[in-house]
Amino acid sequence: MTAPVHADGLGKRYGSTWALRDCTLEIPEGSVTALVGANGAGKTTLLQLVVGLSRPTDGSVMVFGADPVGDPSTVLQRVGFVAQEHPLYRGFSVADTLKLGRKLNPGWDDAIAHARIEQLGLPFRRKVGKLSGGQQAQVALTLALAKRPDLLVLDEPVASLDPLARREFMQSLMEAVSEGGLTVILSSHILADLERVCDHIVILANGRTQLAGPIDDVVETHRLLTGPRADAAAIARMHHVVSERHTERQTSLLVRSNGHVYDATWELHEVDLEEIVLAYLVRDRSASAEPARSA
Amino acid sequence: MIWVAWRRQRTETLVTAALLALLAALLVPTGIEMASAFDRDGIGACLGAQPGQACASSLASFNARFDSLDSFIAWLTLIPGIVGVLLAAPLVLELEQRTHRLAWTQSISRARWLAGKLGFAIAVALAASLVFTLLVTWWRAPIVRIDGRMDQSVFDSEGTVVFGYTLFALGVAAAVGVVWRRAAASLVVGLVGYFAVRVFVDTWLRQRFLSPVTSTFHLLDNGPDKLRHAWVFSQYPSDRAGHHTQIPLGLCGPPPAGGGKPVIGNCLADHGVFMHATYLPASRFWALQGIETALFGAVAILLLAFAAWWTYRRAD
Repeated sequence: MTAPVHADGLGKRYGSTWALRDCTLEIPEGSVTALVGANGAGKTTLLQLVVGLSRPTDGSVMVFGADPVGDPSTVLQRVGFVAQEHPLYRGFSVADTLKLGRKLNPGWDDAIAHARIEQLGLPFRRKVGKLSGGQQAQVALTLALAKRPDLLVLDEPVASLDPLARREFMQSLMEAVSEGGLTVILSSHILADLERVCDHIVILANGRTQLAGPIDDVVETHRLLTGPRADAAAIARMHHVVSERHTERQTSLLVRSNGHVYDATWELHEVDLEEIVLAYLVRDRSASAEPARSA
Repeated sequence: MIWVAWRRQRTETLVTAALLALLAALLVPTGIEMASAFDRDGIGACLGAQPGQACASSLASFNARFDSLDSFIAWLTLIPGIVGVLLAAPLVLELEQRTHRLAWTQSISRARWLAGKLGFAIAVALAASLVFTLLVTWWRAPIVRIDGRMDQSVFDSEGTVVFGYTLFALGVAAAVGVVWRRAAASLVVGLVGYFAVRVFVDTWLRQRFLSPVTSTFHLLDNGPDKLRHAWVFSQYPSDRAGHHTQIPLGLCGPPPAGGGKPVIGNCLADHGVFMHATYLPASRFWALQGIETALFGAVAILLLAFAAWWTYRRAD
């Protein structure tokens, strides 16, 4: 079985700056993956490569085993995409927008589209440009879902929305996911938006993959170690130290462990996902000499 | 895709149609009036070998009535440029507003989308050109019988060149626009570029397309058949061999009262003065039109191909 998305050494360079570099990851079928990273970390670049809007400078990305740029007719039919700021034709009415979806997608399900718009209470004759940001995002999601995609890709879908619209959008998304058969990747720079829906996570920083895996495993393998001030070297031999913080008396380490930590000098604490993500993002920001490119 | 292309280009198409409707509203009544005046005054008969006595005055009054309208026609050459540039707007707006991310992630390939979008723009451009050239050709028909169609101020509003011009304007604006991705600015630059090229071709290049005919003829044949309706580049008094000559002042004295020309002509001819002319005869009209249409059409195709290629390869 081919994975919905398989990236291998994927890289994209704009001018002399690498927006994404050496990205290797696999998105499992049926997963809902959060793509997390600071602004400019390469999230948009990665997603545009997945849907074939960009072509790789380096490496490859396969979507359902096909090349999105070289074989768009195979890939596009199976992929629904909502781009950043959910672009729509502002001069089109809602009905026109659905008609566009019908004309351009052979797998279009008009019943789903109409049911969703009615459920949202949007007037079909209203111009899309006159809808609120949240409503526009919902129309864009409808357009992507009525294609009946196997893979749904959402780039910062809620970044521009107010908290209420955000919640409604995520609610709609969860309903779609619950119907099954859909693999989802969605990016955000705010983890809280994604945590409730996602079961997998990919952390990007400065164009590189920091971590990728099921959220449960990620939480399970990361531990905060606290103990008297000490060097991290001993731990680093066995486990991956994500971040370390030293005060005069105390040292605390965030560690991705390989199995158990058998060292009585350290006290072990569980950490939540947000702390883990932050540790990776902060670490990379301080370690990096490369300037980040804005997406 | 055709519906989508039409829906995305509806405004521009309707503006084009409105522009042509406005033109028709202007040309159709005046054209009917001119054609009926032409028949009523028997102008057609005046254009034969032996014009009647009343012809001079009826021709003069016809010219007085319609010449100003004909010089207005010269301004109509703005329209193919405006229409062409306008029809490039939907493509450029797509990139400026970044809605191509929406279009290119539906199920159809980028190539098909581009073909539909450009194909629709080209089809509207050609249809508009057809309407324009038919209207002007029909309108000018009486004037063509009097003055011919080589007149440089209206050469570019008739025949097939209009198709080339419109496509060229579309190509320039599209090529600039896909690179720049600023619709308003690209349209202005496209229009300026279009007119710069047009002025260059009108004033410098066109007269070099075909090698002109030179002819030396007796002054009594003033306006021989070959010069009739021709595009005359130069015309000057010469000797029999065609060398430029100065006519000494007062050589033939003042013209006698009443009907001067033949007498002066005879006198000058007696002194060995001939007329030398360099010109393109009226029969070369379609050759000129063909060359200019092919030139603009070919450049337009190159520009459109570039715009398509650039959009296909680069935009992400």
